[in-house]
Amino acid sequence: MTRPPPEKDLRPPLLATKLYLPGPRESSVARPRLNDHLDRASKTKLLLVSAPAGFGKTTLLAEWLATGPASPADDRSAVWLSLDRGDNDPASFWRYVIAALRTVAPTVGEEELALLAGPQPPPIQLVLTTLLNDLSSVRRDIVLVLDDYHLIDSREIQEAMGFLLDHMPPRLHLVIASRSDPAVPLARLRARGELVELRAAELRFTPDETAAYLNGVMGLQLTTPDVAALEERTEGWIAALQLAALSMQGRDDVTNFIAGFTGDDRYIVDYLAEEVLQRQLTHVRDFLLHTSILSRFTGSLCDAVAGTTGGKAMLDALDRGNLFLVPLDDHRHWYRYHHLFADVLRARLAEESPDLIPALHRSASDWYAQNGDPTEAIRHAMAGHHFERAADLVELSLPALLRERRETTLRGWLELLPDDILNVRPVLSNGFAGALLATGEPESVERYLQDAERWLEPQSESATVDMVVADDAEFRRLPAGIAVHRAALALMLGHRSATVAHAELSLDLLLDDDDLGRGAATALIGLASWGNGNLEAAHAAYTDCVAIMQRVGHFSDVLGCSITLADIRLTQGRLRDAMHTFEKALQIAPTGVGPPLRGTADMHAGMSGIHREWNDMSAARESLARSEELGEHNGLPQHRYRWRVAMARIREAEGNLDGALELLDEAHHLYEGDFAPNVRPVPAVRARVLIRQARLAEAFDWVRDEGLSVEDDVNYLREYEHVTLARALLAKYETERDESTVTEATGLLERLLLAADEGGRTGSAIEILVLQARASQMRGDGPEALIPLERALTLAEPEGYMRTFIDEGAPMKTLLEAAAEHGIASRYVGKLLIALTGAEDGKPTDQGLVDALSQRELEVLRLLGSELGGPEIARELVVSLSTVRTHTRNIYAKLGVNNRRAAVRRAEKLHLMSHT
Amino acid sequence: MSTTHAAPGTPHGAGEYEIRLKGHLASRWAAWFDGLTLTRESEGTTLIAGRVTDQAALHGLLQKVRDIGLPLVSVIQVNPDQSSNPTSTPN
Repeated sequence: MTRPPPEKDLRPPLLATKLYLPGPRESSVARPRLNDHLDRASKTKLLLVSAPAGFGKTTLLAEWLATGPASPADDRSAVWLSLDRGDNDPASFWRYVIAALRTVAPTVGEEELALLAGPQPPPIQLVLTTLLNDLSSVRRDIVLVLDDYHLIDSREIQEAMGFLLDHMPPRLHLVIASRSDPAVPLARLRARGELVELRAAELRFTPDETAAYLNGVMGLQLTTPDVAALEERTEGWIAALQLAALSMQGRDDVTNFIAGFTGDDRYIVDYLAEEVLQRQLTHVRDFLLHTSILSRFTGSLCDAVAGTTGGKAMLDALDRGNLFLVPLDDHRHWYRYHHLFADVLRARLAEESPDLIPALHRSASDWYAQNGDPTEAIRHAMAGHHFERAADLVELSLPALLRERRETTLRGWLELLPDDILNVRPVLSNGFAGALLATGEPESVERYLQDAERWLEPQSESATVDMVVADDAEFRRLPAGIAVHRAALALMLGHRSATVAHAELSLDLLLDDDDLGRGAATALIGLASWGNGNLEAAHAAYTDCVAIMQRVGHFSDVLGCSITLADIRLTQGRLRDAMHTFEKALQIAPTGVGPPLRGTADMHAGMSGIHREWNDMSAARESLARSEELGEHNGLPQHRYRWRVAMARIREAEGNLDGALELLDEAHHLYEGDFAPNVRPVPAVRARVLIRQARLAEAFDWVRDEGLSVEDDVNYLREYEHVTLARALLAKYETERDESTVTEATGLLERLLLAADEGGRTGSAIEILVLQARASQMRGDGPEALIPLERALTLAEPEGYMRTFIDEGAPMKTLLEAAAEHGIASRYVGKLLIALTGAEDGKPTDQGLVDALSQRELEVLRLLGSELGGPEIARELVVSLSTVRTHTRNIYAKLGVNNRRAAVRRAEKLHLMSHT
Repeated sequence: MSTTHAAPGTPHGAGEYEIRLKGHLASRWAAWFDGLTLTRESEGTTLIAGRVTDQAALHGLLQKVRDIGLPLVSVIQVNPDQSSNPTSTPN
């Protein structure tokens, strides 16, 4: 089996200009009074530079970072990210943040970038957790500057930034430069002294700084009253001072010029920009106005837009003349205008030549399309209202956008297109439906599917509009694509039969080479059949899906499907097949080459559950420890929840019921619903623990909350809950001895057994039979109990079920002893009785501990007994320092100590140090 | 001092708005502000007035004000659309 192709091939390219750390500018003024603030920033979490446009935020930060740390002993690196509107797509934002960090800490973020580029993007919090872990091992200070943060309005990003700030390692320092305060908990940071602020009041140029700028840097030789007048009129606004200085260069009547505008209320930047523009030659002025529509540019791009030929030379000249050009790289290839100046230019362009603007955008769009940047090409086509052109470009970018998971961006574009253009483009309409499904908004999906479908019918002669298709290959895939979207929509709305029907139609319509389409349709059939309790059909569909995903190299999806395949086998009572499914899945990821495949952690967690059922508790713990070691970032989206449930089941078996409840509560919070049916809901697992603790009132609260009743129809989806209800009723009968309760329970169990037998759910049937035996036993009818028990044993023996019996405790021991007397399954029963006796004697572990140490923890423990420090131990075991810390914490907790020496002493007493 | 008055009963915020800025903005900026009327007032402020289609458009407008760095004095809704809620009364 081959490994997936190198992940970086899947990553959309990054613009290096966005990560460019601006250098110090020759024409800037030293501002030592602000150094104090800035130097405090390298010891705090967040430096917020919040002020209007043109207050010198970027220049100040660039200057500060260029001068280096206050003390040479500080080891500090700075990284820079200039944000733009396109970064409101969380995938794009975090990719750039990680790329920026990697410019100084190349070991950071490799996995996170791979995760973000993968076919199933993980929750952002998971990416951030991994990133923060990586960063905590970096041994120097990193200053991360996010410039132009006011352009970010995505709530998802803002929330993630709050999380980042809450969990930042001490050596990471965030700097946000923005025109408006960011939506992060500023008050809390302020109260904790974790925030340094530089606002307009501080950034404003003082009279001294104004003089130093005008007379020093710009060499203007102004009188003190002139400087004072300018300072007062501009209120220390550096953008205005810069324009004033440019307007005054080479002027004789400076005092008159200043007097000409200091006495009124005109918008000073506009007034001074006009002065500056008037002093330019016509072709320079036109160049500035025409290129102002560009958010960044090279000489060649300017030529294409302004219709000039000497763009590069013009940019050099503007750069020398200080005309608000900001270089975006060291080669002075890419530039942008100072934002405020660009806005003034654009406003002027809009007023003087509004009709020219669409043509300028069109030229920019063409240039970008030819130079391989479809995103900018689309942006300019939209801005110039060239919607036909934009629609063509979006259509051609569709497969790449979906592959890169940029559905948010795609949706944003499609929403900008006028209806009459979208309506005649079936490929785009279908793409819109897909984007809506992916962003969780099913309401208008059907409408767009119908729009697309209309064009698949033969068109009548009288049709007044023609269909438009830019991507013929996508059009040929359309019939199947529409059917798949319809299947996904049906599933989202809970219509499982319709899901299967649409997905099967899609399979009929698929082109031979459309593996991804086939994979999607098969997965939908699998999900729907599973939810319907049609386990064999579901298993067959998932098996097909695994084969397809393996063929196209989506290995994480193979692992995801394997969880379902194993789950189905468990329900069918085929423990060995389930184990085999996990083992086979692990084999597609050879160890030792590259990072483990995502989903590997889920396989180990799944195997733990089967070991537990086989009562091989040390193997069960071992699998979970292995899963933990791989880390949450090697898990699929539901892994964090699944791991906790598996661990809770182990604690339950160990008799630590409170500990189990704790984990289940965590799991409940982490559970995020997806397309897969939730056949073993956490609250039901929790209710079972409550029943074992005899907290029946709380268990019946759960029954009421879920609206469960013995009168309910029984089906696979609610089977686990109904069996739990039967358990609650039996427990109630045991204490209250009310006959009607046990009648209700046995009635329900009888119906459940019938349904389980019909659905081929042998795993469920075994448990139901055990409960039927217990019910008869409670009623004092021993011989009657042996009938279901014998059947349970017959079904369970070939697969080696243990805990389903053992967990019933002493009453089960009595029942099994009776079975032994009757010679039922004597070898198997003997084995169960030995295990039950062991459990009764309170010897769940051989270490003398409530919670046994895992193999890995034992290794760490032994190294703790040596002279090695944490980092050396990490190296020795080839794991990260934070993993060692996690293990150490667990070891301390299990040994009941709080330091290394005590841990070693206690371990020696327990003879754990030499244990291998 | 900046004040924001939102009339009740206009869920999308469509209607006539008056945005007052500190400083005189030349009338040529009207195109930049999507064709709204710019009036220079005597106390050194500029009034941008006109109809906006919804809250998003209003915020877009306020962002443009922010981006050119002129201090915002007030935002007032002067005539909420009657069509969106016939029972509301203009304030």
